[in-house]
Amino acid sequence: MPDAPSTRLVYDTLLITSLDDVYKPATSTRVTGLGIGAALLAELVLSQHLTVWANKGVDLLCFDERFRPPSDSLALWLVEHVRAERTSLSVRDWLEFLSAADVYTKTAEHMVMLGIMVRREYRSRWRQRVEVGYEPADALIANAVFSRLRRHLSTSEPSISVEDAFLLALTEAVGLAKPLYHQFPSGARVYAGQRRQALPAPLRAVLAHLAATVADIAITGGR
Amino acid sequence: MPAPSSRPSAVQAVLARDKLGTLSLLHFSLTAATPLTVIAGGVVVMFALAGQIGIPLGYLIIAACLWLFSVGYTTMSRHITNAGAFYAFIARGIGRIPGVAAAWVAATAYCAMQISLFGLLGLTAEGVMARMGLDAPWWACALVAWLLIGLLGTRAVDINAKVLAILLLVEIAVILLFSASNFANAADGVPLAAMSPSTLGGEAAGAMLALAVTGFIGFESPTVYGEEAKDRRRTVARATLATVGILAFIYIASSWSIIAAVGADNVVEAAIADPSLMFTLAGDQLGAPWAVIGEVMLLTSVTAAALSFHNTTARYLFALGRERVAPAWLGRTSPRTSSPAAASLTQTVVSGVVIIAWAALGLDPLVHLFFYMSTSAGIGLLALIATCAVAVVVYFARDRRGESLWATRIAPVLAVVALLWVLYLSVLHFHTLLGVEKGSTLPALVPILFAGLAVLGAAWGAYLKWGRPDVYAGIGHGAKAALVTEASEPVGVAGGR
Repeated sequence: MPDAPSTRLVYDTLLITSLDDVYKPATSTRVTGLGIGAALLAELVLSQHLTVWANKGVDLLCFDERFRPPSDSLALWLVEHVRAERTSLSVRDWLEFLSAADVYTKTAEHMVMLGIMVRREYRSRWRQRVEVGYEPADALIANAVFSRLRRHLSTSEPSISVEDAFLLALTEAVGLAKPLYHQFPSGARVYAGQRRQALPAPLRAVLAHLAATVADIAITGGR
Repeated sequence: MPAPSSRPSAVQAVLARDKLGTLSLLHFSLTAATPLTVIAGGVVVMFALAGQIGIPLGYLIIAACLWLFSVGYTTMSRHITNAGAFYAFIARGIGRIPGVAAAWVAATAYCAMQISLFGLLGLTAEGVMARMGLDAPWWACALVAWLLIGLLGTRAVDINAKVLAILLLVEIAVILLFSASNFANAADGVPLAAMSPSTLGGEAAGAMLALAVTGFIGFESPTVYGEEAKDRRRTVARATLATVGILAFIYIASSWSIIAAVGADNVVEAAIADPSLMFTLAGDQLGAPWAVIGEVMLLTSVTAAALSFHNTTARYLFALGRERVAPAWLGRTSPRTSSPAAASLTQTVVSGVVIIAWAALGLDPLVHLFFYMSTSAGIGLLALIATCAVAVVVYFARDRRGESLWATRIAPVLAVVALLWVLYLSVLHFHTLLGVEKGSTLPALVPILFAGLAVLGAAWGAYLKWGRPDVYAGIGHGAKAALVTEASEPVGVAGGR
């Protein structure tokens, strides 16, 4: 299968987490929101709009003082929120906020505008009201992201992009390790672990908070 | 780094919207306890086994002990991660190696408690089916419940909570109705003698206190939601203390009402003669259908109790898997439901194997499964709580962390003394609890088994310290182990796409 053109971390994350096929289930709504939120934070860390700052054992999210607005409206929306805070909030708080603020819908609407997703309205069987859903415009392109990650694992490519290394770790953090490593030898996990360790520290911190938040949901039920 | 801004924070408003209040936490903790199982399945048995009427007083004493314990426990929960698990407190208070030992004991005790309930469940279901003219062996009924619990366990915990909440409300209503009816039909007025200290003496005191502790398991649940509480300082403490208070009121009132209805002089004989005494009384006083309603409610209550203990066991195994203290696959979540699926399935398999083994060996579901296993698990849980109380004292002995003297020194020390005394009595009188002769092998075997587990756990903890320091560092942090064990050694990644 040919690679889909590289888009953005948030788009790739949405395609990995929210779509299911015979090989991979979709994650729950809250975990999908957390995953996309983590990807958005990672994008802004990589573009140097935001940084993660460890203070007294708490990983805080801060904006770069040499502030220049991101060109993308989704990124700008988050950066404006970060700027508006009187005190820096933790990465965990931002992940929770992004999930609660329906970052999934915001990202999906962006993807609709770019023609990657299609917006569909349908009548709910039980509630008898019109609801909105999003589907990939091209199923092959949608599946290509996950296939690309599995290809990295199968070939153990020595040099992959920071974004794909982040996506590998994110896929595991949201609970999709089983389909990701399906039928691969244990070396695939070692490879993914090494790629994760090679990520910049702020991205590793975002991933660790994502994994911890997903695990907390398993314990508390997400209420 | 933060920028000065006069705009109100939309983020804080969104985050505050999802925070839990005292009532929400109370809902979670009370659904973890199933009072009808304790009263109908435990109190009548306690009258029969102990041969004493001091059970309401026993509940009062245990409630006081747990109230003292809760003061330090909820205070410490504000300063640690993974604050829903006793072993995490022990790991942070006494050390990681004792923490692993406690984790092994905790997982085994919770699992054994859950499995024991299938004995009571199967037998109760068999009785209900017989009333309906259907003939089904206890193990078949237990396996149906086992399947249901296994399925619910792999679903999201909030679905379980809704099921448990409805069952709890009905349960409490039935208990209060039956208790009020018992007091209204008292044989000799309200038996004040039942609350006399002299009623709680002799060989059976420890047995009664150990069984009383098991009725309160679930009181520790509010700390699980500490990070999601509106006010971590007050909300969790209020919910925990309210849980102990509400459960104590229900247990004391209902056990006292049974004494009132039958009479202080006759209650032991009546309990020996009729294990369904509570429902028999309801049938006599309110009409025969109420006895059937009570039995059906007991069935749902035991199922809810088994589900609750299943969730707790799965939570422990999941946290240990996340820490990689246990195999890492136990820390897997279900992508669709976000439940601790692998840990839940593991607990389901273990309980299924025990039910089938008990059925194949023809062992008695009430004595050999429910009594023996639940009382043994009760000893393990009591030891766990007592050790946790010691951990609270040690933790605050190093540093009070700005907390009050009462919460960090006085209450925790009193709790340690009280809980160790209860544990001592329970082990000493364990033969009464099991209904065997003093000096028999079985009562000695259970404490040895738990001690052996603790030693093995400690040995495993020592191995981790020596051989896998990254895993050792994350012990006691549960879901947040990833934050602790995250290493930071870049080895080079090609940048950009």
